This record gives sequence, C-alpha cells and structure tokens, in this order.
Amino acid sequence: MKKKVLSIFLTVAMAATLLTACGDKEANNGGNESTPAPTTDSTPAPDNNGGGEENNGGGEESNGLAYAGTLELMHFSTSEESQGNGGSDGFRTMIANWKTANPGITLEENVLANDDYKTQIATLAAANDLPDVFLLQGMNTIAWADQGLILDMTDYIAASPYASDYNNSYFAPFTTPDGKIYALPALTGGTCTVIMYDKTVWGDEFPSTWEEVEAKAADIIAEGKTPIAFGNSGQWQANSCFISTLADRYTGPDWYMSMIAKGGAKFTDPEFVAALAETQRLFNQTEIFNKDFNAVSNEDAREYYIDGSATAFIGGNWDVSYVQASLEGTDLYNNTGFAVLPQSADATHQRGSQNIGLGYGVAINPAVANDPDKLAAALDLAYYLTGPDFSGFVAENYALGGLTAAPDVDWSKFDQWTIDFYNWSYVDTETCEIYDSYLDGAIWSVLNADLQAMMNGSMSPEDVAANAQAAYEANY
Amino acid sequence: MPNAIKPKKSVLFAYLIIPVVIFVFAVFVPLVTALVYSFFQWKGGPVKTFNGLTNYITLFKDSTFWLSFRHNIFLVLVCIIGQIGIAFIFVLMINSKLVKLKGIHRTFGFFPSTVAAVSIGFIWKMIYDYNRGLINWFLDKIGRSDLQQVWLNNESLVMLLVAIPLVWQWIGYYMVILLSAISSIDQEIFEVAELDGANAVQRAIYIVFPLVKNTILVCITLCIAGNMKAFDNIYVMTSGGPGNASMVMAMYGYQVSFSQQNMGYGSAISVGIFVLSLLVIGGSQWLIGLMTKKSDV
Repeated sequence: MKKKVLSIFLTVAMAATLLTACGDKEANNGGNESTPAPTTDSTPAPDNNGGGEENNGGGEESNGLAYAGTLELMHFSTSEESQGNGGSDGFRTMIANWKTANPGITLEENVLANDDYKTQIATLAAANDLPDVFLLQGMNTIAWADQGLILDMTDYIAASPYASDYNNSYFAPFTTPDGKIYALPALTGGTCTVIMYDKTVWGDEFPSTWEEVEAKAADIIAEGKTPIAFGNSGQWQANSCFISTLADRYTGPDWYMSMIAKGGAKFTDPEFVAALAETQRLFNQTEIFNKDFNAVSNEDAREYYIDGSATAFIGGNWDVSYVQASLEGTDLYNNTGFAVLPQSADATHQRGSQNIGLGYGVAINPAVANDPDKLAAALDLAYYLTGPDFSGFVAENYALGGLTAAPDVDWSKFDQWTIDFYNWSYVDTETCEIYDSYLDGAIWSVLNADLQAMMNGSMSPEDVAANAQAAYEANY
Repeated sequence: MPNAIKPKKSVLFAYLIIPVVIFVFAVFVPLVTALVYSFFQWKGGPVKTFNGLTNYITLFKDSTFWLSFRHNIFLVLVCIIGQIGIAFIFVLMINSKLVKLKGIHRTFGFFPSTVAAVSIGFIWKMIYDYNRGLINWFLDKIGRSDLQQVWLNNESLVMLLVAIPLVWQWIGYYMVILLSAISSIDQEIFEVAELDGANAVQRAIYIVFPLVKNTILVCITLCIAGNMKAFDNIYVMTSGGPGNASMVMAMYGYQVSFSQQNMGYGSAISVGIFVLSLLVIGGSQWLIGLMTKKSDV
C-alpha cells in the first residue's frame, strides 16, 4: 500500500512539474546577477552624465563614453523580422552603428521573436533579473515602475540632446499617473487598425459607414468572395485592431484618459458597452467578415486578401508591410487603398480616427545607475536608438516616422503604395490611443478571451464589460 | 548475484544519486517553492507581499479555473475510452491469426506518439481548417457542404475536437504496452478456449481482459496523469479559445503566470492542479480497487 501511495505521488509530481518549474525562476537565476556591484557614488545627476553630451551618437568614432565593459540589450528585432519591416531594420542598423562607434563597450544582445520576447521579459522581471537595456511594453509601465524594475528617466529625457525634437504625445504609454516617464518610445509609429481594400471592388473611397459596407457586402458575397478578412485566433487582434478604434468613436478620447488616470470611467459605461454590442452585431449578425475569423490568425486572414478571396482586410502596420512585400508586381498592389474603420450609426464621436503609437520604449534597469559610467553608456544607447539618426533612416528607406520629427523625405524614390500609407498614417487621419499600450496585461487577458466568445454570440456585451471592469478593479 | 560482479554500495549510490538529484531539483524544489509563492501576492517583480490564503480563496471562486478542471476531466474520460479502449481493440486485432505483417502495424501504430505534440496540433489545425481543411473538403466532395463549419470555433464541439488528436497520437503508445502484456499470456489458454468454442469476443472479455487487467490499470493511471497536464497541442490549435471553451488547467496557469504576470496566483493554480490531480488519480485507484474486489468475489 505504501508503495502504491508513493507511486501515485510520484506520478502526480511529474505531471505537475510542467507548471511549477515555471514558478522557480528566482531560485535558478539568483546567482546570475549581471549588474555591477554598487559603487559609492550616488546616481548621477542628469546634467553631468555623458549621454547628455553634444557629441553622442553612433555615427562618430569615440564619443567620450568612459565606460568599458559589457552592456546587455534585449529586444525583438530579429534578422527575419527586419526583412521589409522598417522599424526592425532601422533598430538593427542603429545597434550596429552604435557598436562600431563604441568599440570599448561589448554590447551583449539577446534577440528573440516578439512572442518569445514577451514571455522571457516577464520571466526576467519576475526574477528581478532584467537586462541593462530592454524594450518595455506600455501596459507594463505602471506595474513595473511600482516595483522598481525600471529607471525613472524623466530628467534624463529632458536632458536628452534631442529633447526638442521629440513628439511628446508618444511618451504617454510610458508615463505614470504622477508624471514620471520610464522609457524612450522606440521603433516606428505604426497604426494598429487599418483597412486595406481593393479599389476595383470598393471604389476609390472605402465606405465611411458600416451601413454602406453592409449594402456593398451583399454584392461581394454574391460573387463568392469575403468582403473583409479578419483574424482573431490569438484573441488580441479584436482588441488592438478593432475595438480600440471602434470604441473611441463611441466613448471619445476623454473616456480612455479617465480609464488610465482612474478618473471614474468604467468598462461598464453605456458608451463602451454600445461599442461592444456593435462589434458583436458586425461579426455575429452580418456576413461582412470571413466565417472563420475566430479560428484564424491575422497572418492567415491577410492571405485571404493576398490570394483575392477577400476584398479587404483589417490589421495593423505589420500586416501592411507584409502584404506590400507579397503583392509587389501585381494589379492588386496598384489598386490597394487604405481606410479607417467606417463609422457606426449610433457612434457620436470623431470619425476618421485610427489608433497609432509607439507600443514599446527603451527602458533601463535601475541597477545600471549604480555605475555612473555604465548609466551614461546605457543612456547614450537609448538616445541613439530613438534619436534623429533612427528617424532619418526609417524615413529615407521606408517612409516611416519615429519618436523624433522626421526630416524632409525625398518622395521621388517611393512608389504610390508607400506614399499613400505614409499620408494615411501620419497626415490624413485623426489618432486615438492603442488600448493595450496602457492599463495592465491581466485586464486585457480577460477582456480578449471574452471578446472572442462575444463575437461568436455566446456572451453578452454587458457580461464582457462586467468581467473587464472586475479585472480592472482587481489589477489596476 | 555473485559477489565478484556485485558493485560496491558506494558505486551503486553514486550512480543512483544522479537521477535522484535531477528529480529533486526538477520536481520537488519547484513544487515546494510554488507552494511558498502561492501564499504571496507576486505580480511579476521583486516585490512579494504575503497574503495568506487569498490566492486560494480566489482560486476556489475562480469560475475559469473550475471550467478548465471540467475540461481536463472531459479529456481524461475521452482519452481513457479513446486511447486505451481503441488500443485494446487494435491489440486484439493485431494478435489475431488473420492479420499479416504484424510488425508494420505495430510500427505505424506507434509512430504518432513519437511526433511532437506541437506538430500534431498544427497538423490537426489544418485538418479542421474552414477553407482548406480535410474535413470540409470531404463534406464538400460527398455533397454535404451544408455540414461545413468553422470546426475549432464551435464552442460545444471544440473540447472533443482537441481531444481527437490526443487520442490519435497516443493509441500506439498504449498499444505497445498492452501488446507486451498480452504476449506474456500463455498461448495454450487461447487454444483451450478455442477448443471449448469461445469466439473472439468471448476470448477478449473472459480471457484477455482479466489477464491484462493490471496493465490496463497502469495505462489508466498514465492516461489520467498525462491528460491532467494537457497543454501543447491545445495551445497550438485554439490557445484555449473560443473564449475559454477549450481552456485547460495547465494553460490557464500559464496564462495567469505569464500573460497576466500574476506569478503568485499562478503558483496557487499549479498547487491546485497538483492537489486535484492527486485526488483524481487517488480516486480512480480507489474506484478501480473497489471494482476489482467485487469481480474477484
């Protein structure tokens, strides 16, 4: 009998290992502290650190950084991703430039694909073993700042040699309610919600209301095609690439600002619930979208547009660069237009908005500040990666914008697709916030799962809102 | 064993200590630390605040967790019937005199269990695909396109649909275990039974089953343990969706720990999984013990 009990215990123990092993990162990493021992110096004042000097920047040899040693950098601009993706390509190019300019510093890079990056960085945060410099996702700012995982960069940002060039609205996701800023927004400002459509089907202008879309959709379905392709199998797409923009038309921007500031707005407010109800209606009661929207990812859904079985697609800027690369040389390439989400009949706020921003920012581990020279090097890297050289590179090569104002772009070398998308992204449209750049991952995890059920019609908008509100109150 | 080739006690100990140490560090240490962490509010940073039983009270009231538990139990039931039941039937078929090329059947039967669960998930995701999937293609070919649907988006079917690949994958594994058990049965028993006029079904129920009963019990225990930790192929196929319709406990724990960065509560969930698995396996052993006692009388 004893043997039996023991064998049961061992079997179950093995079964439970999968998860429990994940909870033990601290014990495993405890001896792996990579930051230097604290020096007697206090944290340098922002005005006397090397990064603030005029001559920093990767293009020049020896920029006066006193630090010699290793500096860890973790990011997700893999070489695969940089193919055709301007932000990634620019980021990698800037890293390479900075390395060349600072031969005395060994930059230890840890590059992971985005999904893996998110898991890995969360694990390192839990183990209090974050790298020296890394990319912070907006929604983690408040929680990580509270725990002292990220360096308060407010003064350093003010002291940046490029401070006057920064587009200050991009700092919002990395700012805590008390006004402190914790990261320099990185990569390119890209939309999360854009409709790519076939002008030969929809006409030069995409319909501006959902009623018109529905009317037109009937003809498209009769031809055996899908009017609009959408993929939500990952559950985040409905949030980032749909609700975030659609709900803004119902609630107005103040509502979300109030959510961020805990100013009294609620997910259960009737305006937000109305936006959920409209989403449910569009996906569940009309034939506008592909039937398998909840079973395919955005990567699958955009293929429906590429292969012509769908006449439009809703996705983010990352989808635009992929579709652009795939369609080059085809008729559809020349006939693709960009549009914002159509307006709903009962929505009262601004039409023509799209959610755009910089979702990740370069953040620094507070332990780096123990060594003023190392901090100066880390700041120099952060300034350079998000500075005018980066903006210049992505503007010149990809017609994209970054944190600093873009220089004048020579438009003659770009084709119509690139120019159209640039104008659509930065010139012709109103902007609104990307929901999941803010608040807390726990809230989005709950809301996203419920949204998927709601779009199937198996959950009411009221219940979705109530669950999200409960998660908001418990986690934010 | 003659003393000449018997290793010294110290040598035996040295060899055995290696797996024991690995086991202790890979299983018991994480288990104990998870138990400790489960009493803390730990939102993925250096700050851990002791909060007593709060995580467990939350767990007790967490409808998603209990939904996931029901899904695991569903998986266990489907897989006991599907994996072990079908494996038992296959073994009888392979052992029949009418079947040729037994080795090939065995090899191909076992083959799926050597494939990574993630790959299996991708393969079956393609089979279930709405536009290009095998099932919808077949329905179209037989003129029943009215039955086509987005399979993995059907909330009432999705648990069964994610269980099918698991059944398919592991039949061969249990087949091999059962085959070895059956091959140890004395062939004379079958010959005598045949002479007495027992048909194949009677031989299966009255001879094979009682003689391999203990092996089947081992299979059931393995099956329960395996399915209480189901994760990979479901993660690939549905990520627990639509909504939480195919959420299982391990995936919920992963989601809470990493997507929601709530490590303290995630630890409480893993402890919950451990305790529930212990109860289910213990319960099933007790039930089986009860049943076998009755049949012995």
